[in-house]
Amino acid sequence: MTRLTAPPPSEVMIEAHEVSKVYGTVRALDSVSISARRGTVLALLGHNGAGKTTLVGILTAALPPTSGRAAVAGFDVASRPREIRQRIGLTGQFASVDGQLSGRENLVLLARLLGAGRKAARARADELLELFALGEVATRRAQTYSGGLRRRLDLAASLVGHPEVIFLDEPTTGLDPSSRINLWEIVEGLVAEGTTVLLTTQYLDEADRLADSITVLSSGAVIASGTAAELKASVGQRTVTVTLDGADDPALAVAALREAAMEPVTGRQDGAIVIPIAASRDIAAVVRALDNVGIEAAELSFGEPSLDDVYLTLAEQPARLASPSLALGATV
Amino acid sequence: MSATTTTTSTPSIPQWDGSSMFHQIRVLTGRSLRALVTDPGVVLFGLLQPVIVLFMLTQVFSKMGPPPHFPAGISYLDFVLPAVLIDNAVQSAVQSGVGLVEDLKNGIVARLRSLPIVPSSLLIARSIANLVRSAVQAVIILVLAVTVLGYSPHGGLAQVAASVGLTLFISWSLGWAFIAAGAWLRRAEPMQNLAIIAVLPMMFASSAYIPIADLPAWLGAVARVNPLTYAINATRALALGIPGAGDVLPALLFGGIIAAAGATLAVYGFRRPM
Ligand SMILES: Nc1ncnc2c1ncn2[C@@H]1O[C@H](COP(=O)(O)OP(=O)(O)OP(=O)(O)O)[C@@H](O)[C@H]1O
Ligand SMILES: [Mg+2]
Repeated sequence: MTRLTAPPPSEVMIEAHEVSKVYGTVRALDSVSISARRGTVLALLGHNGAGKTTLVGILTAALPPTSGRAAVAGFDVASRPREIRQRIGLTGQFASVDGQLSGRENLVLLARLLGAGRKAARARADELLELFALGEVATRRAQTYSGGLRRRLDLAASLVGHPEVIFLDEPTTGLDPSSRINLWEIVEGLVAEGTTVLLTTQYLDEADRLADSITVLSSGAVIASGTAAELKASVGQRTVTVTLDGADDPALAVAALREAAMEPVTGRQDGAIVIPIAASRDIAAVVRALDNVGIEAAELSFGEPSLDDVYLTLAEQPARLASPSLALGATV
Repeated sequence: MSATTTTTSTPSIPQWDGSSMFHQIRVLTGRSLRALVTDPGVVLFGLLQPVIVLFMLTQVFSKMGPPPHFPAGISYLDFVLPAVLIDNAVQSAVQSGVGLVEDLKNGIVARLRSLPIVPSSLLIARSIANLVRSAVQAVIILVLAVTVLGYSPHGGLAQVAASVGLTLFISWSLGWAFIAAGAWLRRAEPMQNLAIIAVLPMMFASSAYIPIADLPAWLGAVARVNPLTYAINATRALALGIPGAGDVLPALLFGGIIAAAGATLAVYGFRRPM
């Protein structure tokens, strides 16, 4: 069980090449290609069912791809799963710890399985319990933990073996704000030391803060990838955000804006309509278009696009990708 | 929470080199057995059915007198105890399958799958834990039978030990059948149903509680082809020192086949993605 020499720094640590996964009639992944270099964070952004967990499953050698090729730390997932498992840590979407054991026992068990002696295993467990602020509950059975505590234990569990590559599937779902920030700091610390991280998330602030590059998945396909800045730029430099009066019909407003050759984006939580514009004078065009159908915006703001806007523009309306300004699949 | 990342892993810290399968099995067996120590209710609950059957049947038959084809010179207690131990062995085997399903459900299997360990280690650990549990329960039943009911089989200590050994072998091999069922079904309810629908009738349609000759004809016919009959006849013959040791070989064969088939199926079933 010798560890083969790890790839040198700057090496590609996570790579998927035209990976597809079909479940019966569902195409969960459709020719997805991604790559991440050592010591970087790659964020996978996507709706429920976009294929994030499936891709994590393939990269961690838990699921065979239907077609395509994937490698982690230079080892092919199909032929070298063992070498991959020696180098990765996985925090799945659903906590995977033994509820019958205490937090400490869980970590000791994993360390022992990875080959640590009793003493080293206990030391590693204590180190991680402290890092994740689990000291107070360390001796309680994990099944008595709150959701957030369980999540933290799960994260600690994925770090036991000092992995070179960490997969975090929606790691901060269910964490309170301070635990989220704590996790971000831990991830940043690991990355600074050369660990490579693949993170799936639905939180854009998380991707914006942690990720060196972001891949947006929609219905199993990569619809955009690049840095946060590149993605923002792709939506158009500026946007106008219009909030309607409750009485006005958003569909009417959208139709009017389309009429005026604009490409309004809906779907935001607060119901606002986002309209990418080329220049500031286009604000007047927005107001005129709405005025034509008798709608007056309750609130109108002008600004740089947020990652939210990017996400909605790209993920909600895949048809728009036909426009050349948005075709940036190859910018990684 | 403070974020002192200085203590986190770095690739420069030497990583552990993994562990041998033997070591993995040892660690995982320890984990499965832990419940026996930290949660004695598990053992008590497992003992419930065999012990109730033991006390009820001995009471009933001490009142009714033995059935017509009962072997001469043997008390009902002596007759039924080896069958009660087989019942205990079967119940424990069912529990090993349920234990595997619980592992699959609570996520620990998902975690282990991402580690560089041999997947069968977990299955083997379950199987060994089942054996230990079965043995602990068998000893408790024996102690109860000797101290409370006055069990004193004619076979002598060595013979009783051989009988218990064979019983444990049967428990171990049936354990593989239920581990396989757990690996394929992956849900606890069908396993429990299987235990009730299959195991209970199997015990009654056998030589367990009354001699086959005293069973209704159709039940006797089922009992004659029931593999448990061989196991019970063999362990009973050993413990009581009565003829019937000819059933030991078929019982061993039956156990061996179940174990081999169960283990193979279990490995394949367990391999399927979650
Ligand atoms: N075992 C399976 N059998 C059939 N279909 C599946 C299976 N696993 C996933 N799918 C389907 O594949 C698609 C992608 O699922 P996946 O779990 O990868 O999405 P996700 O991006 O992780 O979603 P979420 O944000 O909800 O976790 C979905 O349509 C899902 O229904
Ligand atoms: Mg998911």
